[in-house]
Amino acid sequence: MGLGMGVCLASLLSACMGPMPMPLGALNGQLAQEGSHREPSLSGQWLALIANRSGRDQVELVNVERQRPVPLPGLNRPDALPLSVSVDGTGDRLAVVRQVASRTELVLYRRSLMHLEIIPMAPAGVPRRASLRADGREIALEVSRNGRVEVDLIQVP
Amino acid sequence: MLRFRTTLTLLPVVMALGLVTQACSMGPWSLRRSAGSTGLLGQDTDRQDPVVSGDGQWLASLMVRDGTPTLLLQQQPSGRRVPLPQLGGMTPHRSPSLSWNGRYLALVVQQGPRRQVVVEDRATGKLHRLQLPVGLEPDRLSLAPDGRRLAVATVVQGRPQVQLFELSALLEPDLPPAQAIRGQANPLESP
Repeated sequence: MGLGMGVCLASLLSACMGPMPMPLGALNGQLAQEGSHREPSLSGQWLALIANRSGRDQVELVNVERQRPVPLPGLNRPDALPLSVSVDGTGDRLAVVRQVASRTELVLYRRSLMHLEIIPMAPAGVPRRASLRADGREIALEVSRNGRVEVDLIQVP
Repeated sequence: MLRFRTTLTLLPVVMALGLVTQACSMGPWSLRRSAGSTGLLGQDTDRQDPVVSGDGQWLASLMVRDGTPTLLLQQQPSGRRVPLPQLGGMTPHRSPSLSWNGRYLALVVQQGPRRQVVVEDRATGKLHRLQLPVGLEPDRLSLAPDGRRLAVATVVQGRPQVQLFELSALLEPDLPPAQAIRGQANPLESP
């Protein structure tokens, strides 16, 4: 009786207030236990985010199906502060905006090659936020340039 | 006078050489373009938070008008602006996200004192207002390209957190053409 009323009430609430998406309880709990996270990027079975570990921000990539992070050798370095991260649908390419010393740079990391490449800015500008297309072929970049904030679309070779 | 004429004649050559030199110094990263104008005459404003759909046909970004971030959806590469009347009155907009074919457009909107996650289904015109657990104030989001999951960045007890949600019960999948169900046409391709 109580359960029936609860379901009925939930249905009524959903009808009045909008649909309620189902939380991925186990993974959410795991993320909450591990510390703080921000800047999520979800593509395919991959979740990229910036995690704070012992006071230091770093990029992490989580396989959502297996509910576990995968290693990103060569991407995180102690003197770099990641500002934004985006992953493609295969989980192979990550576009990262990060601050190193006094400069801000856009880098593309290829997990299969363990290779990191700095993407040059031309015309000159300061990258602010990057979003990688799901097929990995293009980066949409928010860039500060000549006192304005613009959008560049960069083809990934 | 002759020197002036010679300089004028050589100017395009020098400029072309400059462009070639720049392209060479960029290496394989020389193929890039600006997202272009917002399409609003006299209102070329700052553009933020760009995202491109998986098929590359749609670009969503925020244009800052009178200090208020407002969503702009453009077809690519033409830059044609697509009206989004359902999102009017829910500014400031935050953190847009597009599904593979641009069918779903998810973002954080302002509803009175609260932020809310909405997903616009551009194929049906329906606006889904997602009810997140009580007390969860969305800051940013990321919609999986197939529309099956949503990641929401929020702050819980003063700590930035990311939570994932399953949307398969609410949204049909928006898949790349090769994976789409045979015979199902893309409703966004019609003029």
